[in-house]
Amino acid sequence: MSAVAGSLTSRRTFLPTRALWARLVRLRELQLLLAMAVVVAVSAVLHPDFVSSSNVSFMLADSSVTATLAIGQTLVILGKGIDLSVAPILGIAAIVVGFPAQNHGLPLAVALVIVMGVGIVLGVGNGILVSWARIPPIITTLATLSVYGGLQFIIANGQEVVNIPNFYDTFGNSDLVPGVPWALLAAVGLALVVWLFLRQTNLGRSIYAVGNDADAAHRSGIPVQRIIFLTYVLCGFLAGIAGLIYLCHTGSADSTTGTDSNVELTSIAATLIGGTTLTGGRGGVIGSVLGAIFLSIALTAMVFARIPPIWEPAGVGGLILLAMVTDRHSGNLGSGGPRRVGRRH
Amino acid sequence: MAALLSAPPAQRRSRTATSSERRRDRIWVMALAVVLGVEILYFSIAVSGFFGGGSGLLSLTEQFLDVGVIALGEAAVILAGEIDLSAGTMSSLSGITMAVLWRQGMEIWVAVLVALAISGAIGLLNGLIITVFKVDSLLVTLASQFILGAVATALGGGSPPYGFPGSFVSIAGTGTVGPVPDQLIVFAVLAAGVAIAIGRTRMGRSLALIGYNRPAARWSGIRVDRTVVGAFVASAFMAGISGILVSGLYNAARNDIGDSLLLPAITVVVLGGVDIFGGRGRISGVIIATFVLGFLTEGMLVAGDSSLSATMVTGILLIVCLVFKIGLERRGGSDVLGAVRRRAERLRHLGPGAGAPPAVGDELP
Repeated sequence: MSAVAGSLTSRRTFLPTRALWARLVRLRELQLLLAMAVVVAVSAVLHPDFVSSSNVSFMLADSSVTATLAIGQTLVILGKGIDLSVAPILGIAAIVVGFPAQNHGLPLAVALVIVMGVGIVLGVGNGILVSWARIPPIITTLATLSVYGGLQFIIANGQEVVNIPNFYDTFGNSDLVPGVPWALLAAVGLALVVWLFLRQTNLGRSIYAVGNDADAAHRSGIPVQRIIFLTYVLCGFLAGIAGLIYLCHTGSADSTTGTDSNVELTSIAATLIGGTTLTGGRGGVIGSVLGAIFLSIALTAMVFARIPPIWEPAGVGGLILLAMVTDRHSGNLGSGGPRRVGRRH
Repeated sequence: MAALLSAPPAQRRSRTATSSERRRDRIWVMALAVVLGVEILYFSIAVSGFFGGGSGLLSLTEQFLDVGVIALGEAAVILAGEIDLSAGTMSSLSGITMAVLWRQGMEIWVAVLVALAISGAIGLLNGLIITVFKVDSLLVTLASQFILGAVATALGGGSPPYGFPGSFVSIAGTGTVGPVPDQLIVFAVLAAGVAIAIGRTRMGRSLALIGYNRPAARWSGIRVDRTVVGAFVASAFMAGISGILVSGLYNAARNDIGDSLLLPAITVVVLGGVDIFGGRGRISGVIIATFVLGFLTEGMLVAGDSSLSATMVTGILLIVCLVFKIGLERRGGSDVLGAVRRRAERLRHLGPGAGAPPAVGDELP
């Protein structure tokens, strides 16, 4: 990073804008916490079991996969991209470590290294196509969704992971203290690291700059395409880790893990609910994690309210619409100028 | 794609689709036609049971025309610079609605009309939310995709209706005229209609201009919002038709049938040469791409490959095509002098030694 880039992304130059969106982001996070409190309070009054430690622990552990994916998705969307291929990346990571874990008791640390590697390699694939070949992100990741999905099918070779060692299960399904599962702590830990990265490093702040206005970022010496490349690699990396968390939490993996439950759309939903906007450059990872947790709480509340589980997708859709309506920025994008010059980049 | 952004907006958007751009679009369509010919030839020779005396080839089309029908509507939306992610579940919902109404005792063709009307109304709702609240269509249709899917599942219940009247199954599904499947005829009619509507009418031209340069479209008196809403209605309507066709083909309604149609449909549109950011593209390309992709998938399935490896090849095909196409655009899009001038301009803006070297390929696409 050159001196010019350093000074332009430094705190002083960015202060007015940063204060503005920092305020807005905090607002969305408050909204989410408030909404969570309301949903939890109402459900707890109607069904006291809702706040039992086992249910809380279940909801939070359940959200940790989505949360980890959403952290990566947030990085990509902040850079004005989108990544639909996180589902098969998660799936490939889960089966690649799932088989050795099932058959040979692969240590968890080794598994972690492997899923990180898998995620990085597949993320690099996306990154090359987007930032070097310049294929629009939505098309790139649509294509790699199919390609990686096929790869997952080939790797799985018709086999299923059904039986994982105990220590995997312990990580995926037990609590530090009742109600606080390890899996969620892992996701929150990752979120904090990424949050610091976005806030405190030039590289992280460059992602905001690129997503906000790639032209301006380019002119101020930020290597735009390299930053975009990086976001896809990080997203793949996090999707790989999410694959391991998924494996530990559910104890199973097969040729369609991830794609069959449309986790890519859920992760985008969590990100959008968390206040990150598709127009890039605005939002943050803390909101996305809260979005994922809120999604899980709201869907569980629906189950407690005896709404049949088939309506779950409608709940997700409704929450996306709600997030959209409550986003004060979405309403005035169209005033005057070209509304979507360079959208979906 | 930051390449688009790296030029000042005025410079980029002051042009209209140039004749050289139009020529390249035509070349793309011709190249697709050649690919289609080679592909059919290859599979006919290499895979026994693919050609089937010609009628086998024709009957294979039934397996993928539903994707083509959705792609026709999706093309209109993408041409306007928007996207409709709800087309897949819209297709499921339409099939289920039709089937449930029929089971309730409604005449089947009336049920079809009602299902199509509901599809159109949902498209209208999508379009209105997008234009009135000025929100990203990706966001709105992502939400409606979830919602429509849930409604379809709820409507269908545990055992969605099956066993429709013979006349319906014959016309909408498996019937043929001579060796030509009815579905192919329906597709031909729809494709011709959309091709004329987009290529030859005022509305179609407006749509492309909106996608190319929205402010210019607004300033030249085009009713932008109304036209965009129209595109969403068309997309939902076509998705509705495709849902009916699928139900007819399988003689059963299924609440998840549309889920697998959306991504291939978008692939077809992009493969057909429609710019994903709108403004450029030809329906003829989309029509040919339907067959290119369809025969490729079916050819692989007939040859005994799994459907997932066929999907994988679809993805690779899409990437290869786009790398090729974007390379073509980048090379042909700007003459050498223009590139030099822009580079000089950029250096003047940045000053010597201003940070990172210009990223590779910063010319206009």
